[in-house]
Amino acid sequence: MPTPYLVIDGLTKVYERGQVHALRGLSFSIEKGEFLVVIGLSGSGKSTLLRCINRLIEPTEGKIWLDGTDVTRLSAKRMRRVRRRIGMIFQQFNLVDRATTVRNVLTGRLGYIPGWRSLLGLFSSQDKQTALANLERVGLRDKAYARVDELSGGQRQRVGIARALMQKPEILLADEPVSALDPATSHSIMQYLEQMNRQDGVTVIASLHFLSLARRYGTRIIALKDGQLVFDGPPKTIDNAKFKEIYGEDAEEVEVR
Amino acid sequence: MTGYPEGYTSPRPEWTTGRGLYNALARRADVAAKYFAMFLLDAGGLAALWLLVTYAYAWYVLGITAYILVPWWVFALGVVEGAILWESLGRSWGQKALGRELTPVSGEATAIRRLLYFVLWNLFGLTGIGFVLVPPLHERWSGLGLRRERPSSQAPVPWYRTSAGLFVAVLLVVTLVSALGVTLTWESLRRLFTQAGQTVEFWRALVRPDTTILLDAMRDMIVTVFMAVLATLFAVAVSVPLSFLAARNLMRGPVGRPIYTILRGAMSIARSIEPIVWAIIFLVWVTALRSPFAGILALWVHSIADLVKLYAERLEAIDQGPIEAITATGAGRLSVLRYAIVPQIVNPYISFTLYRWDINIRMATVVGLVGGGGIGQRLINYIWGVQYRQAGTVMILIVILVWAIDYLSARLRAKLA
Repeated sequence: MPTPYLVIDGLTKVYERGQVHALRGLSFSIEKGEFLVVIGLSGSGKSTLLRCINRLIEPTEGKIWLDGTDVTRLSAKRMRRVRRRIGMIFQQFNLVDRATTVRNVLTGRLGYIPGWRSLLGLFSSQDKQTALANLERVGLRDKAYARVDELSGGQRQRVGIARALMQKPEILLADEPVSALDPATSHSIMQYLEQMNRQDGVTVIASLHFLSLARRYGTRIIALKDGQLVFDGPPKTIDNAKFKEIYGEDAEEVEVR
Repeated sequence: MTGYPEGYTSPRPEWTTGRGLYNALARRADVAAKYFAMFLLDAGGLAALWLLVTYAYAWYVLGITAYILVPWWVFALGVVEGAILWESLGRSWGQKALGRELTPVSGEATAIRRLLYFVLWNLFGLTGIGFVLVPPLHERWSGLGLRRERPSSQAPVPWYRTSAGLFVAVLLVVTLVSALGVTLTWESLRRLFTQAGQTVEFWRALVRPDTTILLDAMRDMIVTVFMAVLATLFAVAVSVPLSFLAARNLMRGPVGRPIYTILRGAMSIARSIEPIVWAIIFLVWVTALRSPFAGILALWVHSIADLVKLYAERLEAIDQGPIEAITATGAGRLSVLRYAIVPQIVNPYISFTLYRWDINIRMATVVGLVGGGGIGQRLINYIWGVQYRQAGTVMILIVILVWAIDYLSARLRAKLA
């Protein structure tokens, strides 16, 4: 049997000098091409989990195998090479507001460019064309030379997606990509992620707040509670009882249409 | 599937691993630091109050200058025990400043428990012995703990009904009363309103400028502007790299933090020495009278100290999001600096630089007064020579220059915002 694409094994993260346990021995695995949705209350460990995979956060214990490599043991330099294959988009978009759209998109290429050339801002003309093509793909070609702080929330997240596309990623980490957006825009963003997943074969791991979005776009759902796995299965199998177990007795499901 | 049970912790005692030992020690140090910061605020505050009240009483009632009026050990004991008593029985201003309050771990905070806490704090808190455990011994045995203030459903008590509020109010009033008594006399107040005529000659000279010195004065003024420009530019060259080493958020860990602390400390010392003092130091150093070079050096040192602080504080306020995002693309450290940090700081840095240049033009005049060259030196020479008409001319020129630069730098900075 071939090993799964991504294996999380006993992942533990402890913050504040041993006082706060964000993840407690979390283990699961993902096959290539899955659209995995991570749900759970705020503070359940979703963000920490995603950031441990590309080691924006250093795990305290446990292993993460990506395509047969244990990323927790890599040197800083090798980790940078692995990060090129892992795209990431964020709840707060994390763009450089003062720079233009196309410049923000180009930063997705930085992992491939030698240090001195990136310092001088010498992106190749091929990179520039790819950047414009990716902006075209997310419907923002006409905003290429606008400053990012002139864009709306949904447009900014699309810039974030275009930036991730520049990496030609194998896997995309989406940390609450639609939490700062309205419902209609949320669907538009989720559809771009779905497209990346189906057309480009990118494995997606997205954390979401709304179960309705998770059901619609995910091929599989895992749920975290206090840093532990409380559900793992296909979207259909989350019933009302399961929902209350994840979100607490008083929770009511809210529909996003 | 989850692998580990609820409340998972390492089966080994925490302190047997290097990291665990460090964490355990750091946690104890944190608690102790909180307690001693609070104690220093309270004891320091009470000491200030005592000194000021005594001073005012001695000055106004006894007609002498005195600070303590009791043996020093009575003063010391009073301050220390007063602070601990205040922290045990009430809500001290130190507790309030740090956002802590003494709350019962279980049950009620009875008077007996509070007294017990007072005794234990004396025995095990001040001596430091109690801090070998977390929570510290005096908290464990008294059943009271210093906890973070919790949001309460009750309306806050108005300041004039809390001991901390009253304490600060009394301190302010006593300071004001003592300060007035020391610095003002009825005689000097009377003179302020009756002796204005003494300066008539000076004002008259001011409105009859001597135009024959205009060209010479303008030349000195250009020197002054040049001094400010050079001092600012040289200061920027040094301050920009230093600011990264003086930013708390970038300097973490056992190597970074000491560098940060030392650099910030050195900068605040350099800043607390006025440019005029630096000018005198450098005049002696480069041994030249009427030397713009000494003036430039003086402004340079002070500008570095100022700019490093301004720059570093801006760096500390940057949005971490882009750093995270650019790091996630696989970019190296330099690329992260260039694409995530620099775009966020360029405009503020330019703005601070212009502001400092504006200050340096005014400071260059002052530095000139002690011999640092430029227009200030000309001004002081005229004043010592009782050439009030010429001095007046120079002052008018300085006003025009400062006003123009002020306006220019404000406009430019508004554009950058």
